[in-house]
Amino acid sequence: MTTTEIPAPATTPKTTPAKRPKRQREGAAWVFLSPWVLGAAVLTLLPMAVSLYLSFTDYDLFNPPQWVGLRNYTQMFTEDPRYWRSVVATLTYVVIAVPLQLGLALVVALALKSMKRGRGFYRSAFYAPSLLGASMSIALVWRAVFNDGGTVDNLLGTGGWVNQPGWALFAVALLTVWQFGAPMVIFLAGLQQIPGELYEAAAVDGASRWRQFLSITVPMLSPVIFFNLVLQTIQAFQVFTPAFAISAGKGGPADSTLFYTLYLYDRGFVASHMGYASAMAWVLLLVIGAVTAVLFRTSRSWVFYASEGDR
Amino acid sequence: MTATAAATLALCAALAGCTGSGDSVGGGKVVLRYTWWGNPDRAARTEEAVALFEERNPGIDIQTSFSGYEPYKQKLATQAAGGDAPDVMQLDYRMIDQYASGGVLLDLAKQKSALSTADIDKGLLATGVVDGKQYAIPQARGTETTAYDTKQWKASGVEPPREGWTWSDWADAMRALAKETGKPGGTDPGQSEDCFEVWLRGQGKDLYTKDRQLGFTADDLAEWWTFTDKLRREGAVSSAEDTTQIDGAVENTPLGRGKVISDMNWDAPASGFLALIPGGVTLAPMPSGEDGTPGQYFKPSMFMGVAEASEHPKQAAQFIDFMLNDMDAAKILGATRGIPINATIREAIGPGLKDFDKTIDDYQASLDGDLNAPPQAPPSGDSALQTTFMRDYDQVSYERMSPREAAEDYVTEAKAELRS
Repeated sequence: MTTTEIPAPATTPKTTPAKRPKRQREGAAWVFLSPWVLGAAVLTLLPMAVSLYLSFTDYDLFNPPQWVGLRNYTQMFTEDPRYWRSVVATLTYVVIAVPLQLGLALVVALALKSMKRGRGFYRSAFYAPSLLGASMSIALVWRAVFNDGGTVDNLLGTGGWVNQPGWALFAVALLTVWQFGAPMVIFLAGLQQIPGELYEAAAVDGASRWRQFLSITVPMLSPVIFFNLVLQTIQAFQVFTPAFAISAGKGGPADSTLFYTLYLYDRGFVASHMGYASAMAWVLLLVIGAVTAVLFRTSRSWVFYASEGDR
Repeated sequence: MTATAAATLALCAALAGCTGSGDSVGGGKVVLRYTWWGNPDRAARTEEAVALFEERNPGIDIQTSFSGYEPYKQKLATQAAGGDAPDVMQLDYRMIDQYASGGVLLDLAKQKSALSTADIDKGLLATGVVDGKQYAIPQARGTETTAYDTKQWKASGVEPPREGWTWSDWADAMRALAKETGKPGGTDPGQSEDCFEVWLRGQGKDLYTKDRQLGFTADDLAEWWTFTDKLRREGAVSSAEDTTQIDGAVENTPLGRGKVISDMNWDAPASGFLALIPGGVTLAPMPSGEDGTPGQYFKPSMFMGVAEASEHPKQAAQFIDFMLNDMDAAKILGATRGIPINATIREAIGPGLKDFDKTIDDYQASLDGDLNAPPQAPPSGDSALQTTFMRDYDQVSYERMSPREAAEDYVTEAKAELRS
């Protein structure tokens, strides 16, 4: 008798408390999420909405915005030769800097992986430029090194790279490539995930190291390569600080380092055309979105996820 | 309430650069921010004058900062846009329209009690008026000059420039200098909207029309750029690599870097060349049009304005009054911003001017009465167009575009810029 009576009171307390806490837990979740939600709404979504509105206006920062419809967009594509030069400079930069940076990161990560001792030290040492590189001071040092009478000029006798349109972009790209620390660390983590048995089995079958690299390392690492590629491409499209500092804010010489964001800044803050700058920002967002979508599409044919099996 | 204020203050103190015009808490003192563009010589003299002002007004602390013209322009625009314009700012003729119509500047007539304009030429004073309000006051007048390395030009044996020389005389001199000295004769003036304006005015044309549109055609600009580009190809003026480093600071001009013999610049900043050129600097007039029409003009320069948002407009006006009207300040400042605009001061200190200040004074006196009236204040887009001008000429000097293509690009861009 006593045994049958016990479950009854036991179930009642079970259902009622379970109902209340569910709502309470939801509330608590929102409380804990609130810093992020507020931040995203106030610092990201709202400014984005405002900038979308401004992109259809003529706004000089001082006077109220005037609605001009699509004029900013048509001006960009038909009346602004400098806009197209900035597009070309940016694409050139992305195509040069991203593969070089990822290639270097992978080579160094491979070297670190095979290291028996001192890996921690070298990993930190190679990562250091990434911590320093984003700063204005390093970019200024870079300018000095590549300027007339700078280190490079003295060593190679080539003149200052930053004053030659053919070389200035390369000087900026080198600064980015030098900061290969972040992708390197990610590559290293990815490399350490690859099971050692695969290499052992391949070695037993007589595969050379190059063969092992191509047939084991690359496919097993491809998700990480893809991740780094997407991330670095998006970042490269938005490069600003190094180009600004190295070209002394002008994007010169002859607009060769006038990257998209630099020209956007110039239109917005120097020429006081915030509407135009906002329109440029939206076009950039759409282009980065499109490029990322294309990368994802191509990834189906070359990125291998181990969990998919041999499908 | 107090806790919040204290926390804000602590945060402000922790953040470098958090010196907005609102937080004037320097130990009970009124803190004013004063920014200008210029060279180290101007900086040294300005600091000395500021120190004197602070000594006389122990309740006011003035924080100064300066840079070259191009970076100054960008920084000021960003600050003003963010509602954080410095209390007292130096402005160029080309900036006034933009900042006045944008509501950044205070109507100085409101501070008449602290700031006297009695001794300032009415015509020049009026150049700081927009829509009937006195938004800025010029500190001086300036005019362009062909500054040259005295010793090197003399040693070359080439005939020195004289008043009334024409652009073709100038071009011949540049070629002759290049031949005799092995260095280009001068800075390539193709990058400078100012030089182009002098050349245009020499032909009786203007940069802008009265209704704020372009006063010239792509043909005019193509002709100018063809002229300078040809000289550059001949090695008579500076190379593209040297020209592109110009950023408004004399140290970065080809003459300041010792690459050429002469440079076209405003007369006041030319004082900066003295420290850089051991052979001394002479100021010569700008070339005239082929029929002798002078292109250069006396431009009101180095305007001072007060931010509408300043919390201490009275003290700011007081400081401007000191810079414009105080005899001791004038003695310290000399002609570092040009010959003072205050007539009483000009007469009093004129004879006592020394060294390069005297050079500038003599130079301006030599032109007095010979020049045509200045153009009206340029439209607000002009400040951005100056940069566009330099950039488009980069395309020419680096031989990426023909002068004709670049000129057409410029006219397209300028029309879009002036439309709004």
